Amino acid sequence: MLTDSKPVPKNIKLAGGNDALTVKWSDGHSSAYPYRYLRDKCPCATCGGAGLPKQAASPFPMFGAKPLKPERAELVGRYAVQIHWNDGHSSGIYSFDYLRQICPCPECAVRREDASTIERA
Amino acid sequence: MPSRITAEDILNALRAVQDPDLDRDIVTLGFVKDLEVSNHLVSFTMELGSPACPVKEQMVETAKQAVKALGVSDVHVKLTFQVSSGRGPKSSLIPDVKNTIAVASGKGGVGKSTVAANLAVALQRAGAKVGLMDTDVYGPSVPVLMGGSEQPKVVEGKIEPPVAYGVKMISMAYFLPKEEAVIWRGPMLHKTVQQFLGDVRWRELDYLLMDLPPGTGDIQLSLSQSIPLTGAVIVSTPQDLALTVASKAIAMFQKLKVPILGIVENMSYYVCPSCGHRDDIFGHGGAREASNKLGFPFLGEIPLDVEIRINSDAGKPVALDSSTPQGRAFQDVAAALAAQICVVNFQTEETISLE
Repeated sequence: MLTDSKPVPKNIKLAGGNDALTVKWSDGHSSAYPYRYLRDKCPCATCGGAGLPKQAASPFPMFGAKPLKPERAELVGRYAVQIHWNDGHSSGIYSFDYLRQICPCPECAVRREDASTIERA
Repeated sequence: MPSRITAEDILNALRAVQDPDLDRDIVTLGFVKDLEVSNHLVSFTMELGSPACPVKEQMVETAKQAVKALGVSDVHVKLTFQVSSGRGPKSSLIPDVKNTIAVASGKGGVGKSTVAANLAVALQRAGAKVGLMDTDVYGPSVPVLMGGSEQPKVVEGKIEPPVAYGVKMISMAYFLPKEEAVIWRGPMLHKTVQQFLGDVRWRELDYLLMDLPPGTGDIQLSLSQSIPLTGAVIVSTPQDLALTVASKAIAMFQKLKVPILGIVENMSYYVCPSCGHRDDIFGHGGAREASNKLGFPFLGEIPLDVEIRINSDAGKPVALDSSTPQGRAFQDVAAALAAQICVVNFQTEETISLE
């Protein structure tokens, strides 16, 4: 047992379509993270998992807010990916374990729900 | 020699020869090269993944016997080495360094630096290109352990590392007067780690060993984030207290997905130089037990020995002389480490693609 056997990404696509980042995992699972969801789950110390403050409705709707999206990303060591957002935020280092944990697919959501039910019981 | 023997026959025979660490035969692993079958002679090159491979002679002998069993009388095997490198992500900071190994511990004072310096020397003696990076900026000790009076030079904006016993070295000790101390917070430490990696002209290296400060702090995190480390070696003394803290270092590397290459038991036992009586001052075998329990390779034990201390203080690592028991101990650990690096590189998943 040189490394643990948790799944790791094989491929990470910043522009995975439908305004989402997609990850293909070593165990065959696929995850799609909508940009807004991913940013709300930013693990950095400043965001503290609380995400962005709800934006006030713009008084100038004709100028519209720039849609949030990641501009680029870098691998961090062997364990994480750092995302640079188009609003300048870049301090979130998403570890692979964390990314897998927050996978929004229905299957994983059910698993999370079960786990929290057990915790409450 | 029977004339009907073909290259195919030879390869089939060689498929019976296994690499004991990788659990694959030497043909599948691509170790057999330049196979020539002429009238009375079979010759080939065996290219292993490390010059420090612990079973190289044994594998050559088994291969020779396998070919001779076909009825060939004359077998020539040339042994060469091509140090393997993982298929994992490459670092743009040190693109020509094949393997990066962190030498770490939970507690201080267990002999990390002594082990790191001696492993570097042992791997270099075996024929590898080796570097030694002293990332303990608070208590740098590599220049003392390795001796030599050479200083780093700055050439064309990059640091040219001093060389001792064929090992390239860098340390904070080169940049500060002896009596000065480094009193820094995290961001400065991070910057230093980055500079030691990217601004030092390491050139091509098979192994870059990194002597870490004790614990699970800024330096360890910076290093693990800055480059995809090949793996970490954990140094511990045998007593429970040190092992309990060592498991915290292991937990950190596992979180950061840095493979644990194995555990070294330092100050394993003491042999009295005058009467030869052996005393297990810190207990004995604790690290071996712990590695068995946790499922990590045990790389070997180094005795608590006054010769090691004297030679370390004099800047002459005992691993320079393999005829002494102390030197032999370090060479055995280096060989076990080289084998584990081959295993990790062999197992590593292919590069993560990021688009």
